[in-house]
Amino acid sequence: MSAIVDVLSSLTAVVLALHVLAVLGIVGRDKLSLARTTVRRNVTRSWGVFVVLAVVLALNKIVRDVGVEISWLIGARITGFIYAIEGTFVASVQSLATPELTWYFGWMYVYGYVFLLTFPVVAYAVEPDWRPLRELLVAYALNYGVGVVCYVFFVAYGPRNFMPELVESLLYVHWPDVQTLTSRVNRNTNVFPSLHTSLSVTVALLARRHRSAYPRWFPVAVLVAASIAIATVYLGIHWLTDVVAGVGLAVGSVAFARRYVERDLLEENEPVAPPGRTVDDD
Amino acid sequence: MVQSPEPSSLKRRELLGVAGTAGLAATSGCMRRLRSITGWQSRSQVSMGIRAVPADADPYAFRIARSLAEWFQAAGIDASVEPLSEEQLLRSVLLDHDFEVFVGQLSPGVQDPDGLYQLLHSRYVDEAGWQNPFGYANLSVDEDLEAQRTEKDDARREVASSLQETLARTQPFSTVAFPEDARAARRTRFANWSAGALDSSFGYLQLERATDGEEDAAAESTLRGIVTDTRVTENLNPLSVEFRRSGVMMDFLYDALGYVTEDGNVEPWLADAWTFSVTEANPTATVSLRDGLTWHDGEALTARDVAFTFSLLDDTNGSAGENPQSAEPEPDRVPAPRFRGLSSLVDRVYAKDPETVVFEFVESAPNVAASALTAPVLPEHVWAERRTEASVSGVEFGPATEAIVTDNVPPIGSGPLQFVRNNPGETLVLERFEDHFLTREDATDAQTPVQGGPAFDRLEVRVVASNATATQFVVDDEADVTMTSVGAKNVPQIGRADDAELLVSRSNIPYVVGYNVRRPPLSNSRFRNTLVHLIDKAAIVDQVFDGYADPAASALAGTEWLPDSLEWNGENPVTPFLGADGEVNVERARAAFRDAGFMYEDGELLHND
Repeated sequence: MSAIVDVLSSLTAVVLALHVLAVLGIVGRDKLSLARTTVRRNVTRSWGVFVVLAVVLALNKIVRDVGVEISWLIGARITGFIYAIEGTFVASVQSLATPELTWYFGWMYVYGYVFLLTFPVVAYAVEPDWRPLRELLVAYALNYGVGVVCYVFFVAYGPRNFMPELVESLLYVHWPDVQTLTSRVNRNTNVFPSLHTSLSVTVALLARRHRSAYPRWFPVAVLVAASIAIATVYLGIHWLTDVVAGVGLAVGSVAFARRYVERDLLEENEPVAPPGRTVDDD
Repeated sequence: MVQSPEPSSLKRRELLGVAGTAGLAATSGCMRRLRSITGWQSRSQVSMGIRAVPADADPYAFRIARSLAEWFQAAGIDASVEPLSEEQLLRSVLLDHDFEVFVGQLSPGVQDPDGLYQLLHSRYVDEAGWQNPFGYANLSVDEDLEAQRTEKDDARREVASSLQETLARTQPFSTVAFPEDARAARRTRFANWSAGALDSSFGYLQLERATDGEEDAAAESTLRGIVTDTRVTENLNPLSVEFRRSGVMMDFLYDALGYVTEDGNVEPWLADAWTFSVTEANPTATVSLRDGLTWHDGEALTARDVAFTFSLLDDTNGSAGENPQSAEPEPDRVPAPRFRGLSSLVDRVYAKDPETVVFEFVESAPNVAASALTAPVLPEHVWAERRTEASVSGVEFGPATEAIVTDNVPPIGSGPLQFVRNNPGETLVLERFEDHFLTREDATDAQTPVQGGPAFDRLEVRVVASNATATQFVVDDEADVTMTSVGAKNVPQIGRADDAELLVSRSNIPYVVGYNVRRPPLSNSRFRNTLVHLIDKAAIVDQVFDGYADPAASALAGTEWLPDSLEWNGENPVTPFLGADGEVNVERARAAFRDAGFMYEDGELLHND
């Protein structure tokens, strides 16, 4: 249908444009000139992780389609509990709403998010050090994997559904077509944790860890990630609790990914990167 | 939600206490004293979980629930709200009876006193479905429910009044308000949108092609509907109570012998004509079917199907004969969870010949009995094999039958539209049934309110996630009509749009607060009566519905059956709000509960466990 086509085509166009800008401004010509060999090398080395990620994404889709039913059967219904913890915090965030802010956060939630998640895949693929790419993919897979398990075991509605008199569905009211893209019907019980937050924060954490590879990417990633985390609350989609849990999931995923890749490194005992390249430990 | 300790564990603890001290106490003769003490039950705060569907599914229900929780809390009740999907809510309320309080719309609404029979008669307390989900049992109400079936004219009016007055005091459920449904429709492709009828199939069947439309009148035309409810794309079983709402789709797919006119009479639809005769207070109806009726699969629709349908509604299990109301209820009998009030009117039904079916009703007035003829007719050749116990049980406390749990896709009906395809969670496509009597016959049948077949060849129903999106789809010409009500909040957007029409009509399906009266303290009608004093219906209409609703004190408000004593005039005539402008007067609320025999401690309302 045309609404979804409209949204999809503008999304594709915007994200492509951002990629071009970012490749020019952040990746730089030096790395691009060597791209052919580095990409081939990195992908060959990490193809197993690519497969794992693809499987997790496919499972994610299946479980989210059939999982709602199972979720009502076995999942803990935690909406009231979350409300008891944080009350009307989301409503007080929304009380600051202005049309400009709504536009900004809506834009970040939709376009910024897709860009934030896809750009590092490109950037780390052309990076001579193979570790960032593998860490990124492992962390993505973990985020999706843990997220989908949470969605089965926790049934929670977002604040816009729970307290509609206080919290407006800002994104969907101001930009209704987006709903055809972002929220499949019947999945509105999947809010805990916020995967938007966890994946964004994952990207930001890795951007920090590998900032010597892309110094300019770090501040951009932090800005976009922070905007997305705030957007999920501002737009009334997620509770603060979901965001906190999302940050926790991101930290855990990155820590695991790091260890996993280090262990690989020890086992394989292979050269990691050209001399002179360091990884910033955090 | 704070759970009160389970009685069994409490007993065990008490017993341990008794046993532990018994050794010491026995010699001093304190046994009796101990037993006296432990015989007294401990008290704890009254807690109440209020269930409703969240905002995406219903623009009002959850907000009503949150208002209730606030008011109940003000009176010292530990009230909490729980959002559930529509399917889960109906399952917990209608099938499992595992709830305390719920907020939602009745289904169907109550247009006649007999509509209350199914909802409240005590003979249904143990059945699953819309028959007495509250667990209410009141002998004088039972008597009135029986009497309204047999009395006529003024006598029936009196019974209906006394019935409603008892209900207004004892409150098995509280009627909150009748909403004004707001829908958006496009004028560009179809005309004759009549605001009143879009909650029934007639409103859609009466549509006409827009004359100034760009499209050729002879070209294929599709009516594009938008709903916010996935259930119609997943399940098309008219008996699956947890999947049904207003039933428009079911009306498209399944025809009934008769339909209810605007003034509440039943007129022939699938039937050609019928005659009623009364012998010893029991009416009999001889119904002749229209000629050449067929099912969507081409099989002939005969009187046998009609007889089968009523037998099935009465018992979806086993191969019962033609005798719905058998004197002895059999233990493995599983009545249909919908249409129970209608089927209970029928004593015996049999096919006299392929086009004539004879109904023998229970003791009742013919005009009441005739409402039984509005139940959808189901094909025997499809449903006969579904009268077996289902292998996967959806009903928890008894054997569910295949007839109740099947998703019934594809549905074989005889209605004006037939099934094409569905994509669960996303779309449902129906098309015109060319062999339907509306399409087949010349438009000379003055009796039916619909002339000729539908003006569209196809009906494509799409599901979107929220009412805001649904409205936008109509505004953007991606859909022709929002088939579910989009709520007051989206009204301004419809008003601003070109080519979109705002259709507002008073729904006859009220929002109610239902109580599970099986559970103390809700089992106490004095408690419920006091509780209802905490519901400010006027404030709900004002704040939640933005004025798009009428507050009411009876489910029959808006019909000729409402007694003057229950007329809404500025405030609730029977249980006025203990406060003002949506604020509970705490002192008055506490005084009312104390009068009802309850106690307070530290502002908490207590009851015996």
